[in-house]
Amino acid sequence: MKTLLRDLRDFFVSLKLTVALLVFGMLLVFAATLDQTNLGIWGIQQKWFRTFIVWQEVRGISLPIFPGGYFIGGLLLLNLLAAHIARFTFTGRKAGIFLTHLGLILLLIGELLSGLWQEDFHLRLNEGDTKNYAESYRDNEVALTDITDATFDHVVTIPDALLERHASVQHPKLPFRVVAKAYYPNSLLQMRGPASPPSLATTGLGLEVVAAPQPMTYKPNEANLPSTYVELVAPDASPGTFLLSTGLVAPQRFDYGGRSWKITLRPKRIYEPFSLTLVKFSHDRYAGTAIPKNFSSRIKLTTPDGRDDREVLVSMNNPLRYAGLTFYQAGFENNDRTSILQVVRNPSWLLPYVACAMMNVGLVAQFGLHLVAFVQKRRAKLSVPAVA
Amino acid sequence: MTPASSSSNHCLRSRRAALALALLLAGCGKTDPASYRIPKEKDAELPASMTRPAATAPTPAAAPGGPLAGTAVPPAGGPGLAWTAPAAWQPKPVGAMRKGSFTIPGDAGATADLSITTFPGAVGGELANINRWRGQVSLPPIAENDLAAAATRFTANGLPFTVVDLAGADPANPQRILGGMTPYQDAMWFFKLTGPDALVAQAKPAFLDFLKTVKPVTP
Repeated sequence: MKTLLRDLRDFFVSLKLTVALLVFGMLLVFAATLDQTNLGIWGIQQKWFRTFIVWQEVRGISLPIFPGGYFIGGLLLLNLLAAHIARFTFTGRKAGIFLTHLGLILLLIGELLSGLWQEDFHLRLNEGDTKNYAESYRDNEVALTDITDATFDHVVTIPDALLERHASVQHPKLPFRVVAKAYYPNSLLQMRGPASPPSLATTGLGLEVVAAPQPMTYKPNEANLPSTYVELVAPDASPGTFLLSTGLVAPQRFDYGGRSWKITLRPKRIYEPFSLTLVKFSHDRYAGTAIPKNFSSRIKLTTPDGRDDREVLVSMNNPLRYAGLTFYQAGFENNDRTSILQVVRNPSWLLPYVACAMMNVGLVAQFGLHLVAFVQKRRAKLSVPAVA
Repeated sequence: MTPASSSSNHCLRSRRAALALALLLAGCGKTDPASYRIPKEKDAELPASMTRPAATAPTPAAAPGGPLAGTAVPPAGGPGLAWTAPAAWQPKPVGAMRKGSFTIPGDAGATADLSITTFPGAVGGELANINRWRGQVSLPPIAENDLAAAATRFTANGLPFTVVDLAGADPANPQRILGGMTPYQDAMWFFKLTGPDALVAQAKPAFLDFLKTVKPVTP
């Protein structure tokens, strides 16, 4: 038993393990970069880095082909920690190395936390528009809204992860059960013709439009068009099965149980305790050319309690940070009248900055100590008179 | 405390810790339904053919064409097109799915609507889209052989346009659609002017000139 523990300790503190993991890390980055042409940046992050094992489909069978980012990064973290615990003794002369390694540990933990916690959204605003929510790039949700009340809407959302599982959802705020009958992450909407196959939809736009599943696209200039067939099941007269798609402009309405409802599939929303109004979007070009110089959005930030009511300028490399969210200028469209902001929620956003600062200070201290020691040694050598 | 209860407590604590960790790793209930109350929101503009209650049969006029032209979309991102509209056209806020939107004012308060939308892929091809528009103004579908006669083609700024002029067949409500489409970067872009027959006919030269201003956005 003792031998086993010692072997384990020797394995985890080994410098050979560090080198092997760094080589694996480089290979991982290289292979993932090549695979980016097939999957796009988001796809490879999930397939190669934010996973313990990289799986590849070969002739319909998923095979593990490489250790994933979590595996390599996790082992590297263990290796670093173990080496420090087992070997390292703190002395003033090694303070720089210690701080550098601590920074590296923090960087690895920061990346892990970013992978787990970071959420990306976008906010699309026309000039004059006010919004208090941002929308997800990738996640979608079915939103069922009780619109009977004249002042407020009561919303129940069902994430696409449940739709993919063909889940049946009974929510206490809904008088019916929601059953996902089909979910297509990418689809093509077509008009139903005489030759079309029978539709799953029994009501709404699905009577006219049909969604055909398509392979998912990862190209940067294409977008997936998710669609779903959702049945609303009630004890008495069920509202029926709807075709929902992010490709359909507006929610579909129906009445049930004496109340008015609307149902839609839309990008997942996060509502914020403040609202943003696009006052003006500017697309500056270099004089006499069409070459872009700067993109910026003048935004009015308002909170319902009146605590904040101010204008801010969001431009490239100059984001707005507010209430735990960061708003970056990400794009524009509609002849420069619509601005697209990227909205990022990452509670661990400061960690990489702190980690890099620690590593910098550590390296400067370590090299500084060495330099001072070297200079002192050299001086001492020079001051010794030559013996004839 | 008996060893058994201590062990079961320990087990419970471990389970709780595992559950907490699982929740943390899963991003705290990302897959659960949620509910909330919000102040009333205005929906995206709905084309007339879509403003009918659910669970009713499609109207004959809507059946072959239906709402799809009004619903086109591609969720944003990627390269786009830019255009220059006549000063008299009033730009409207784009809905969630429109790339551009204008009101074309006419006499006696009449207005026509110009929508600019785009769909990934070929969206069923030219014929299907033209027949969809024909359906919206109560015209019968045409066959592949009739396509050459029904559509005008030209190229502007490197973009090949197919344009149709569809005068409605309903004398009680004479509507007209001027539709232009062009493929660009794996997507089909639609420029559709809809409104009263006389107004749309009058706006046709301006619409054609407008299409000639459409060009890819300079990166």
